[in-house]
Amino acid sequence: MANEIDFDEILGKYRSDPYDYIDVCAAHTGVVRCQVAEGGEVTAPSGEWLHIPGTVLYEITRERNSKLVTSQTNGTVSSIHSELDGRFVEAGEKLMTIRHPMKKKEIIENILKEVLFLFPAPERAKYFFSLDIQSRIEKKGTRAVTIKAGDEIIIMSLMKRDTPVYYDGEPGVIYSVYFNPGVSVNQGDPLIGVCAPEKLPLIQKIITRVKADWDAE
Amino acid sequence: MPNSSGFGQLPRRNAAVATEELRRFIQGHELPLRRRTDGDRAATILRYGAFVGSVIEHHDSLVRAMDRARGHIVSLEEGNRSVIGGTVIVADTLSSSRGRFARSWHAPAGGLWGCLIHANTLLPKSRRFLSLAAGVACCEAIRQEGAEDACLRWVNDVLIAGKKAAGFLIQGFSGHLDEYDLIGFGININNQSFPDELHNTATSLAETVGHPVDLHRFTVMFLAKLTWNLGLLYFEEASDLRGDGFSGCKGEHLLLERWKELSDTIGKRVVFGQNVFENPVFEATVTGLRDDGGLMLQLDDGSSLAVQSGEIRYRVQK
Repeated sequence: MANEIDFDEILGKYRSDPYDYIDVCAAHTGVVRCQVAEGGEVTAPSGEWLHIPGTVLYEITRERNSKLVTSQTNGTVSSIHSELDGRFVEAGEKLMTIRHPMKKKEIIENILKEVLFLFPAPERAKYFFSLDIQSRIEKKGTRAVTIKAGDEIIIMSLMKRDTPVYYDGEPGVIYSVYFNPGVSVNQGDPLIGVCAPEKLPLIQKIITRVKADWDAE
Repeated sequence: MPNSSGFGQLPRRNAAVATEELRRFIQGHELPLRRRTDGDRAATILRYGAFVGSVIEHHDSLVRAMDRARGHIVSLEEGNRSVIGGTVIVADTLSSSRGRFARSWHAPAGGLWGCLIHANTLLPKSRRFLSLAAGVACCEAIRQEGAEDACLRWVNDVLIAGKKAAGFLIQGFSGHLDEYDLIGFGININNQSFPDELHNTATSLAETVGHPVDLHRFTVMFLAKLTWNLGLLYFEEASDLRGDGFSGCKGEHLLLERWKELSDTIGKRVVFGQNVFENPVFEATVTGLRDDGGLMLQLDDGSSLAVQSGEIRYRVQK
């Protein structure tokens, strides 16, 4: 958790290049066929349950089983390894990069992620707050709920197997929640961002500053 | 004198089963039965599941079997002792049992109430099928006991004539030394009195077959079916790791294949939600089961999605 932030440097960076660059890598070994071209626009999953897939990025075939891999974000294909088209690749090999235009809210969240303690998802599953935390959130709101290491904060739910997840980070308030009940979270993605109470003013400063800078434009 | 079961005198035997008795049943009944469909691999699968019932602990009454399991793990680990994987805890009654989302579960005398401690030695890909395995085992045992139209509602509710006869609560638990899955089970066998709110949605095996069921024999049979179905997870995991793929028709996982045979979920109109009673989210039609056990749904706008978590209730078709 960073204690100090060089606002000018960070804001300058986002102002000059307000994009996120997302690498798309091979999901597993196989022969890839790219389905997009450099400069092409791609869309993210949509629909109320995000059930309408995004743009097909590539097809990968392993042992005669083909799989279409779709974009998880919107943006533009900024670079593509076209030399890999039609060739066998290893799992994790970088295939292309998508340039995603960031909204103000995303910029704030990105900056906050440098300040907050991020508690990651232990495996790909759906998550919801434990009953105790949920009732405290309903009464007071997330930013009034303090947690410490060892607290049972979240239930990981997968195929009706519920596993309590115990917090193991620094004590603080739940400042950001990155999961939605009913939506799967990938392993390693942050579930919550926790902030020590004494750092709350810093957080507020970040938000005020970004909002002021962006609104002024 | 009539009792609460409504079937006159209940069989006096309870769920106090000995491990040796379970082993004998598996050798004498389950293995020959499985050999008919699975041939030589049947013995291997049962060996993989042989940890089930390594220790069987019976109580006249407990507050909650899951709490007893957690306490058992903690006390053993604090003494630097290992928990025996496959330990089964059963009780004739539970005074404060509950299901998911802290829903109350009525557990009077006559039912099979308990918990299996499964040391987490499965890879995540197989571990996700634990819930399905518990449901399949129970549905097989209930069918074999005479309720031949018992079926599974995704994920693992066992229904007889549309009413719930059994439910499972599967929770992960981390001790100081190891990680476990606690497979809680509640099966309505001879108990026939249900709280008012469950009156139209719950049933028991005895109510279906029209006579009291030998709870002791049923317990042995259910544990034998668990031995098989949990054994399948290890068997298929080993097969997949060897590079041989899964063993079912068209390379399907044997457990998923069996689940589909026992389930009436595919094709049904359902309401879905993480907690479907308190927060139903949408209605859809079930179109299939994914290789990872997830449910494939078609929404009214024609689009499809898959869910790996949450629960469904069947929508009554008019």
